[in-house]
Amino acid sequence: MKFVFRNNTLEPFFPKGYSFSGYDDISFIPEDAEEYVWFYQAPVHANVEANCNEITAIPQKLEYVLERIPEGKSVIALTMDVLYQVPLTEDDARLEEAVYSYNSFLWDAGRKRQNLKVIDFSEFTRMYPRADLMDWRFYLISQMGLNPKIAKDFQAWWNKKTESVALRRKKCLVLDLDNTLWGGVLGEDGAGGIKIGGDYPGKAFLFFQEALLELSKSGVILAICSKNNESDVDEVWEKNPFMILKKDHFAASRINWDDKATNIKELAKELNIGLDSFVFVDDNPAERELIRQMLPMVSVPEFPTQPYGLPDFFKSLVDNYFKVYSLTEEDKNKAAQYKANAERAKAQESFSDFGAFLESLDIRLTIQQANEFNIPRIAQMTQKTNQFNLTTRRYTDSDVKAFLASGWKIWCLSVADRFGDNGITGAIMVNGDEIDSLLLSCRILGKGIEVAFVKAVLSMLKEQGLKTLRACYVPTAKNSQVHDFYDRCGFTPYSVEDGVKKYEINLECADLQIEKYYHLNIQ
Amino acid sequence: MEEKVLEILRNLFEDETLDSTCSQKNCEKWDSMGHLRLVVELESEFEVTLEPEEIGEMVSYEDIIRILKSKVSVC
Repeated sequence: MKFVFRNNTLEPFFPKGYSFSGYDDISFIPEDAEEYVWFYQAPVHANVEANCNEITAIPQKLEYVLERIPEGKSVIALTMDVLYQVPLTEDDARLEEAVYSYNSFLWDAGRKRQNLKVIDFSEFTRMYPRADLMDWRFYLISQMGLNPKIAKDFQAWWNKKTESVALRRKKCLVLDLDNTLWGGVLGEDGAGGIKIGGDYPGKAFLFFQEALLELSKSGVILAICSKNNESDVDEVWEKNPFMILKKDHFAASRINWDDKATNIKELAKELNIGLDSFVFVDDNPAERELIRQMLPMVSVPEFPTQPYGLPDFFKSLVDNYFKVYSLTEEDKNKAAQYKANAERAKAQESFSDFGAFLESLDIRLTIQQANEFNIPRIAQMTQKTNQFNLTTRRYTDSDVKAFLASGWKIWCLSVADRFGDNGITGAIMVNGDEIDSLLLSCRILGKGIEVAFVKAVLSMLKEQGLKTLRACYVPTAKNSQVHDFYDRCGFTPYSVEDGVKKYEINLECADLQIEKYYHLNIQ
Repeated sequence: MEEKVLEILRNLFEDETLDSTCSQKNCEKWDSMGHLRLVVELESEFEVTLEPEEIGEMVSYEDIIRILKSKVSVC
């Protein structure tokens, strides 16, 4: 059950599974809600002074609630928007100002408190003229500040917003080139003749490239899939001065004349990202249809028919696939990390002995206990990691905090080497004598780090007096690569049921030796 | 119109067995919130605007049909 604190009638605006406070009532705070919502709407009395006073009193109430919600649970607060007002003079902005300071209070509180997330309600209200937003019939009959006619739209918007709070984000954007990143056809118009920069329509493509660059800075991986001659495209990168996106901004590319479904499958393999984390953008309806048919797990949005549609298209791309509540450090560095991975792969080619290669990497593993700074990242990884994830249990910040409070042992792993710092890319959660979750980001796989991490954790558990440890592998569509991971770590399987393999390891006689070229740092 | 109204009631109150005897008294899910959702559905389906008085007295299937007939000219 989710619980909504409110001052107006809201029931039709939320899906099943929500309960509601009394009107402007904070005296009852249920303990068992999984999440809390704070949605106070601007009062609509004719007396502006009274409205302002009412608004000014709300922050105190929210603080009262925030102090009392159970440890580890969080609140999503919506900002306020004016629904109705009749200022008698042109210079009377009192209500606007009161709403503005209330919203500033929310944003500020959201930055300071981990258990408060703020959603901009005006993003929804902006889509409607005032007259559609509120219907006085329903306010006067049953105190509805919002018109119930837009209840379904609100629910759809709300679902999207809560998804971005819960971090369900696509990872990779695959882009076509001709008439997508620039206007015109490179093979016909040449590197200098394509439309990018300058007047319309080049200006529209320039906007799109600027926007994509921002997206890439936020951790979305860009890739190219285009039917072109690669040497022609290289000429564009080298010679066309208007290109905002450079070759280096793309983590991988397939520029050839093969079919795009095969190319995208290869990109997924090269980048180690599941196909359902891909979004494919192409101006050619036939190519879009091909991908929809051949790779139904890839998201394929419609593309604007005119270049001036690109800014709106970009907004819908972000809203539908890439919005997150806030960015972690890992997000911001992701593009650089994927590039570093490619460099590592090149370095590997020059070593014949894998051990010598690993030694040359100067791998530094830092194992840290869960704390308030790394918990958001740990929860984020449980949400996003699919392939190297032994049980695929999804948790929120609040869940992880609650586990920690009830005595679970939770560690996360940061990995750095001479090519760069990957940040926090692994986590393990131990409940009593059983591993509940073990996951690592695919970016760091292939260097034996996963085994070293587990052995280091086992050593710590052994030192703390644990004698045997249990674990299990729960198969999903994506994690078959780890089906024998515990076997590889020296665990003994003792039962298999519906594909779920259960394991045990005796810590006293287990081999917990870690190769010396992993430099361990335990905090 | 009768069929459409029944369909709306059945969908809204999630009960396929609802018939023309349905009213706020014998239908558990037809509470005050359900009533408002019903108003929204009826208004968009039949493109009418119901007056608050009409909303107030519209407490059974038969009331709905009577009030809608008075507002929708051709049906």
